[in-house]
Amino acid sequence: MKSNRKRGGGKTGAIIALCVVLVLTIVLGILGLTGMSLPPQGLYKVLSWLPTTDSAAWPESLPLGLDLRGGMYVEYSGKKPENSSAGMDELIEGTISIIQQRLSDKGYNEANVQRIGADGIRVEIPDVQDDTVLDLIGKPAKLEFYNPQGEVFMTGEMVKTAKYYYADGDHQIAFTLTDEGSKLFAEVTRESIGKTIAIYLDGEQLIAPTVQNAITNGSGVINGLGSAERATTIAAKIQSGALPLELTQQKVDKVSATLGQDAVSSSVKAAMIGIALIMLLMIVRYRLNGVIASWALTIYIIVLFLLIAVFHIQLTLPGLAGVVLGIGMAVDANVIIFERFNEETRKGRSAKAAVRAGFKNAMSAILDANVTTLIAAIVLLIFGTGSIQGFAKTLLLGIVVSMFTAILVTRFLMNRFVAAGATKISLYTKVPAEKEVEA
Amino acid sequence: MVIKNRSKICLIISGAIIAVALFLTIIGHGINLGIDFEGGLSMQYDMKTAVTRADVESVLSGLNVGSFTVTVQGANNSEVNIRIKDVAKEDIQNVQENFEAGIKEKYPEAESIGDVNYVGPVAGATLVKNAVISVLLASVLMLIYIAIRFDFNSGLSAVFGLLHDVLIMLSFMVIFRSVIQMNSSFIAAALTIVGYSINNTIVIFDRIRENAKKMPTAPREEVTNISIKESLGRTICTTVTTLITIVALCILGVPSIREFALPIIVGILSGVYSANMINGYVWAFLEEKRRGRGKKAKA
Repeated sequence: MKSNRKRGGGKTGAIIALCVVLVLTIVLGILGLTGMSLPPQGLYKVLSWLPTTDSAAWPESLPLGLDLRGGMYVEYSGKKPENSSAGMDELIEGTISIIQQRLSDKGYNEANVQRIGADGIRVEIPDVQDDTVLDLIGKPAKLEFYNPQGEVFMTGEMVKTAKYYYADGDHQIAFTLTDEGSKLFAEVTRESIGKTIAIYLDGEQLIAPTVQNAITNGSGVINGLGSAERATTIAAKIQSGALPLELTQQKVDKVSATLGQDAVSSSVKAAMIGIALIMLLMIVRYRLNGVIASWALTIYIIVLFLLIAVFHIQLTLPGLAGVVLGIGMAVDANVIIFERFNEETRKGRSAKAAVRAGFKNAMSAILDANVTTLIAAIVLLIFGTGSIQGFAKTLLLGIVVSMFTAILVTRFLMNRFVAAGATKISLYTKVPAEKEVEA
Repeated sequence: MVIKNRSKICLIISGAIIAVALFLTIIGHGINLGIDFEGGLSMQYDMKTAVTRADVESVLSGLNVGSFTVTVQGANNSEVNIRIKDVAKEDIQNVQENFEAGIKEKYPEAESIGDVNYVGPVAGATLVKNAVISVLLASVLMLIYIAIRFDFNSGLSAVFGLLHDVLIMLSFMVIFRSVIQMNSSFIAAALTIVGYSINNTIVIFDRIRENAKKMPTAPREEVTNISIKESLGRTICTTVTTLITIVALCILGVPSIREFALPIIVGILSGVYSANMINGYVWAFLEEKRRGRGKKAKA
């Protein structure tokens, strides 16, 4: 097996391997804290990704959730208007796209609009605490009809209904107008046969149909929309002088930015103190193995936040708690391994044999413990809402990363230390003065 | 150190705690439901000087709003937390402005801090529904997993321990209702415990699985005793390391973190307790019953 090959230049090789990992850890750690530009002002930039207690210097690459950053959070439940025959899915999607449009038109580019559950919509707007934004979301859309000369001749209030339907192999929208609208529409269409009428929603062109004949009775058809999806969305938008759905506010949450900053810096501080104490405890109890565990834990933190940054996982308050809990889980795997290791040495095994047997015996417990937690995290991810999902995401990621660092990295380091000559049992655990016989 | 089966006494103690909580709930002193569940408007103000609750309440009474609660907090009793039930969403802005105008007559330096929070009555119901589904679904999935990896009785006793821990957490929320409110973060905490406290049980069951193979004829209770003893070093070390970070979070964190961390601490403690004092013995009891049935069938 492999060990035969290693036996030859094992010691030097192991020391080199340990040094390489140490240098890598330090380089990645510094990179994570400070970031880097290559060349100094150049094209390639690595952003820092490790959290700091100084909220002003918070790394750009770790997006903060509303609860930590400050901002507004609103939940709506949507109700189908009585005269609507469209499906809920289409109405919700139409509403979401209109809200998104309105917010980004007003410069809230980071606003996030999402569907929650069957009929809910969640709107998150970072850095804002102003109620007027809410009016913006709920206000009726400005729907305008332009005649071929480019003048507005009719507005959305004059539309009674607009519905999608499918006929003659074509996706169409049938619309009806109020009496006033009918009159205006009749006038314009009579003069514009063969020309186009443009329909704008909040300043954005929805569609510009060509007039085929005069529409005098207040009901007409727009055809040739290409797909059912497009036709439904546009119909929903035309229908809505207001939004496609009647929205009711369910929840409004305003978080001040300072509260968020306090939360960030205090939880990072708590985590740092916690980690320092854990490392201390591990080193006191498991000696060299404790050093290895602390090393693996450092790698865990570097890798975990790197992945959070790479996957753009928004950090929320419960999300940070998930990270903290993940640290606990990572250490637990090491504790299980080291306890088994110590047991093996008590049986009189060499350090090398104890590493192998320790891992073998610990593996089933670690695997089963992690899978059960994984089950809970996945259930949370699916059924949780909002911030609970944030927690589930970091916990999930934490479990996966901890399996890597607490098992693979720890085993690699333990084997190298043993190969490098750290074989005395007293380096790892208390050696009983006299060999006691266990009852 | 000798480990003995004290599961009967422990079950009686846990049962008593849960019974007390149940009794309190029945007589109307149940869980202190936070805004996430009850709906309403919540606001926080810093008055900059010590506050008398009556002052704040008199301003609120003048506003013609439904029932409300005022909590004075902060290091020098200068912060107030106000919760108003039954506010229509159209009135939020009004209530807020009128309150601020009123309170500034008494505390000119009053300043809004933290969240202004409005929750409609529907949001809470959805929250509870999702939480119950999550706990049950997670329990069933874990039961299946453990039944496959260990045996059915292990799965049953592990899930029994898990539900025990959740019930203890809920009881804690009832008994300490004056200290802690239940908000959506409690659900996250409860589900964390569902995922985490089972680890202790699993590690012990892993030993039981190992030892049961070595001692096929020994009474299961004895196998459990030995396994718990052998895992004790790990149990203590892990519990301490996990608690260190959560306790640090609880001490240093802002109130919303505390609302989350405190139930987790209770859950972790309950998890260690049930894993070491109860679950293994439930398994042993179930296994002996199964064996007994096997023998009878043979005879």
